[in-house]
Amino acid sequence: AATAPGKKITARLKRTLPVRGPQAPTLSELMRWYCLNTNTHGCRRIVVSRGRLRRLLWILLTLSAVGLILWQCAELLMNYYSASVSVTVQFQKLPFPAVTICNINPYKYSAMKEYLSELDKETKKALETFYGFSEGKSKVRRSVDEWNSTGSDFFQQIPLLKVEDFSRTATDLHSGQKRKIEGSVFHKDSSIVNSGDSNDIIGFQLCDANNSSECALYTFSSGVNAIQEWYKLHYMNIMAQIPLETKEKLSYSADDLLLTCFFDGLSCDKRHFTRFHHPLHGNCYTFNSGENGTILSTSTGGSEYGLQVVLYIDEADYNPFLVTSTGAKIIVHDQNEYPFIEDIGTEIETAAATSIGMHFTRSRKLSKPYSDCTETGADIPVENLYNKSYSLQICLHSCFQKAMVDSCGCAQYAQPLPAGAEYCNYKKNPNWMYCYYRLHEKFVKEQLGCQQICKDACSFKEWALTTSIAQWPSTVSEDWMLRVLSWDKGQKLNKKLNKTDLANLMVFYKDLNERFISENPANTLVILLSNFGGQLGLWMSCSVVCVIEIVEVFFIDSLSIVMRRQWQKAKKWWNGRKRGGSGKAPQAGDVERQGHDNPVCIDEDLPTFTTALRLPLPQDSPLPRTPPPNYSTLRLETAFTEQLPDTLELGQH
Amino acid sequence: QGGSVKAGKMPEGEKMRQCKQEEEQQQKEEEREGLIEFYSSYQELFQFFCSNTTIHGAIRLVCSKKNKMKTAFWSVLFFLTFGLMYWQFGILYREYFSYPVNLNLNLNSDRLTFPAVTLCTLNPYRYSAIRKQLDNLDQITHQTLLDLYDYNMSLPRSDWSTLSTQRRSSRSLLHHVQRHPLRRQKRDNLVNLPENSPSVDKNDWKIGFVLCSENNDDCFHQAYSSGVDAVREWYSFHYINILAQVPDAKALDESDFENFIYACRFNEATCDKANYTHFHHPLYGNCYTFNDNSSSLWTSSLPGINNGLSLVVRTEQNDFIPLLSTVTGARVMVHDQNEPAFMDDGGFNVRPGIETSISMRKEMTVRLGGSYSDCTEDGSDVPVQNLYSSRYTEQVCIRSCFQLNMVERCGCAYYFYPLPDGAEYCDYTKHKAWGYCYYKLLAEFKADVLGCFRKCRKPCKMTEYQLSAGYSRWPSAVSEDWVFYMLSQQNKYNITSKRNGVAKVNIFFEEWNYKTNGESPAFTVVTLLSQLGNQWSLWFGSSVLSVMELAELVLDFIAITFILAFRWFRSRQKLSPPGPPPNSQDNTAFQDEAPALSAPHRFTVEAVVTTLPSYNSLEPRGPSRDGEVGHE
Repeated sequence: AATAPGKKITARLKRTLPVRGPQAPTLSELMRWYCLNTNTHGCRRIVVSRGRLRRLLWILLTLSAVGLILWQCAELLMNYYSASVSVTVQFQKLPFPAVTICNINPYKYSAMKEYLSELDKETKKALETFYGFSEGKSKVRRSVDEWNSTGSDFFQQIPLLKVEDFSRTATDLHSGQKRKIEGSVFHKDSSIVNSGDSNDIIGFQLCDANNSSECALYTFSSGVNAIQEWYKLHYMNIMAQIPLETKEKLSYSADDLLLTCFFDGLSCDKRHFTRFHHPLHGNCYTFNSGENGTILSTSTGGSEYGLQVVLYIDEADYNPFLVTSTGAKIIVHDQNEYPFIEDIGTEIETAAATSIGMHFTRSRKLSKPYSDCTETGADIPVENLYNKSYSLQICLHSCFQKAMVDSCGCAQYAQPLPAGAEYCNYKKNPNWMYCYYRLHEKFVKEQLGCQQICKDACSFKEWALTTSIAQWPSTVSEDWMLRVLSWDKGQKLNKKLNKTDLANLMVFYKDLNERFISENPANTLVILLSNFGGQLGLWMSCSVVCVIEIVEVFFIDSLSIVMRRQWQKAKKWWNGRKRGGSGKAPQAGDVERQGHDNPVCIDEDLPTFTTALRLPLPQDSPLPRTPPPNYSTLRLETAFTEQLPDTLELGQH
Repeated sequence: QGGSVKAGKMPEGEKMRQCKQEEEQQQKEEEREGLIEFYSSYQELFQFFCSNTTIHGAIRLVCSKKNKMKTAFWSVLFFLTFGLMYWQFGILYREYFSYPVNLNLNLNSDRLTFPAVTLCTLNPYRYSAIRKQLDNLDQITHQTLLDLYDYNMSLPRSDWSTLSTQRRSSRSLLHHVQRHPLRRQKRDNLVNLPENSPSVDKNDWKIGFVLCSENNDDCFHQAYSSGVDAVREWYSFHYINILAQVPDAKALDESDFENFIYACRFNEATCDKANYTHFHHPLYGNCYTFNDNSSSLWTSSLPGINNGLSLVVRTEQNDFIPLLSTVTGARVMVHDQNEPAFMDDGGFNVRPGIETSISMRKEMTVRLGGSYSDCTEDGSDVPVQNLYSSRYTEQVCIRSCFQLNMVERCGCAYYFYPLPDGAEYCDYTKHKAWGYCYYKLLAEFKADVLGCFRKCRKPCKMTEYQLSAGYSRWPSAVSEDWVFYMLSQQNKYNITSKRNGVAKVNIFFEEWNYKTNGESPAFTVVTLLSQLGNQWSLWFGSSVLSVMELAELVLDFIAITFILAFRWFRSRQKLSPPGPPPNSQDNTAFQDEAPALSAPHRFTVEAVVTTLPSYNSLEPRGPSRDGEVGHE
């Protein structure tokens, strides 16, 4: 008794909440009882109706109602994860976005001379040999002999070639010798638009350093493109060897680039700009980068209240081969976003005033399960190499850079360095070019899997830009304006500014309306449930309780009845065997077990199929028990008392 | 012995099985018996209905007849809830049939198919090639300008004399041109000012030309406030006529791709020769459409300038038609594949000496169609024949509509639009008054009297490209030399006016993803049914099956009426005493069989009895079967 409390409680529970099996002895009985007593419509009619056809009709009706319920509810469930979009336009004081401004030319050509002189010589030579172009000076020609000795090996490794009529021979820039293009050559393109003269086709060849038979030939329809592309290739190698600090010095300072600055009706200066070094565009300056914690905002829309800057673009100091256009590039972005100037920057023309009107849109998508987007990018297995907030573009670039470091052993120049890696250059990685072009091709063909890994960001901001251009300065104001600006620029520049060296830029909000597009779940759980309720009610006037009822009757009770039958059969068979062994008359035992002693009706022992499986029958209890047939004693009296007369009569027979 | 045990255990089941067996036997004996059994009287029918129906209010209404007050109360309640429910139903139906839609915003980030890009030279024909045809017109224009503005246009007169014979032959043209002379009129006739007075502000004048109907009884003055507009419009009007007369106008233009596009790159690779198609536009000249070939379309893998289309274009215009082409540069248009390039609708001019970087954002709109919104899937249900060989778009439809109207009303087709079957282009040597007709029709078209804007519906699927451009000078001063040198070297063409001779165009995607604005039905059939079910359950607790019960009641009622009438009729015929009909027998049998009928659980008794086919009043052998069952 001391250890009893637990047992006592269970015993008490068993007593107060006895687990009983279904009352009905057979399945058909159970169904009948269910149909008569359920609140679900239709079922009752099956039992109550008279006439077989009528009954059949009711069975069909009920079944089709059940089917309709299932179908419609499945439809509801499938459409559960749909979203609707709401667009809100609010008027508010908008924070001004960050505006990053770059000169198209990355580094001052005059300062770069010492690094690029060899490359430039090489390029000029190429121009001369292939096109007969010379800048009027014979200096180039004179020094031809020197090159072969002083020139870098790397230029010789990847020279410009003149491809002749696809005959697999090419003329080398250096030796002037024809050489066979060997190995598995793949052209980046086969047929060329300007096929007028096959002599015109020039290109370059990239070979695997370890296996020189693996080569890729790149040809260009236009010599301009070929020269630029080839120049860029070597340029990147050279730049990769220069440390960042030096590069920053070689590029433009804020004073160089910005002549005047005006924001929201107030003057501003270079302190409002943050320097940012871009590998392809040199020093860029971000206005309102939010680095010092404050983000500026405009009081009203309109060009007067935006950012107005005059940029100094020193066209004479441009690299003639790297960039062929003059101007600046700007990009409007969020303070947390990385400015991808090389991809989506807008160009600004010199000798013109460019007005850029902005219209702000903020979008928000619902993440899982509504759509496949990521909130912070933390769940994307790609390391973010840019220390800015996640975007699809960042993910793709990081993914490519990662693959580059993995397979080529060095990092591509245009993208940030991963930890522990360094930029590719000839000296250390002679094979990187070939590796890069192969990898890039794979990337474009989506074989690297980057496009599959990277997901959209769920929320993003967007500034739609409208550009318009006017001539600036006007002919009448040109004179005094240039003079004043030259004076501002300082005495160190003792020449008068030229108007083609200047660009006027205005960036402003067209209106202070923020358009906010957000997705909302079209269905909530409440709506789903009420729709379920509607469907159940419409077809069968059913409810959750009746669903539970159905589960109880059709699964638990039916199963236990079946189990009971099986158990009984097994028992009988066992008894028969035992009797056969002992020679005892089988009838006596069976007679004894009739009525409530019948094991079928002993509910306590066979409440569910589990207990039915486990518990042994009280087969060795010959004592007669209390009389009543126990399935009529419960709350369901009415259903079965009606059958009592019949049952009893039969029993008495 | 096992059978006996079973009988003891489950007598009811056994009995039912036996019943079934008997029934089967019965069925073998007499087919189609006992399929439907009818009630013997109305009372019984209603009793059955009352006790078994599942409509909540109805039970109370019909079945609580002992208390009149209660019945009245319940009937009021019944009709009240009935009314409320139907009011709600009305609201629901109204909402459903207004076909509300949800807006869906999707951001897709697949590989973007690059759109088709069309580039036009902005000059229809080389002036030297078409000079012959335009000679007369130019001369007249020259004369007109001299008369009206005292401007002596310098026309190249070198080969005029040689053409004098031809001029005589085309005297008719001169006649036709003079039929529509360019005239100046005073804007306000009330103010009487001397003509050709130089002091008059030109705004007081309007300049234009007169167009008359066939028999000159109705004329109107096509007037313009600016002389430049008037001269151009007048010139192009005659230009169309001249072109329409030239039998093989298409042969005049020579597609000179190499002399227009100097360099072409896409996605860091040189363009393929197969990548462009050529067509000729009578105003915009030679147009080249890139990436229109559906077999091998360009796809952009990344956004950005490097992954887009980059073209170097010649924009020199020393061979332009002076009075027709007043714009220098080239015209670019971005459109979807298999859509015609309507250069005047969505074009973008490229300035010479400038690098134009056009960034695109793709946006797709997908409407639901059907009854949700007024759009068409493929244009097959729009009552306008598609004259273009391309996919249906709204512009295609509107233009086709105008052209068809033009052919119908004026008898000839407008030169700028495609030719319908069996029609020919307008030309005033054949169609004297087509100008009059055309301008009249144009006014009607714009006022939508023709109904073109009503007939043409928007396509359900639309792709738009939002363009924004940045400009920079190209080539830069330091690179100018070698770039020009190489371009001229390569194309064997001497670039004379350096910077104005070339332009560069970059077209690229700004974003990797594109927006899809979709629609989805906000109120589907499923939700409608759910809502109906909700209302039904709320007010009545009934369901579709309850309605079936009601239907059954009505059918039964009718059937019983017929049976009773038939029986009454037969008994009248037999002239037997109108005592209790045979169904009373059945009734007694039924009562005999179930003695527990008096008990409060009456309906369950009935339920038990239903297994026994007792209502066999129509069968002659009914009682015997009853007896059998009773013996059980």
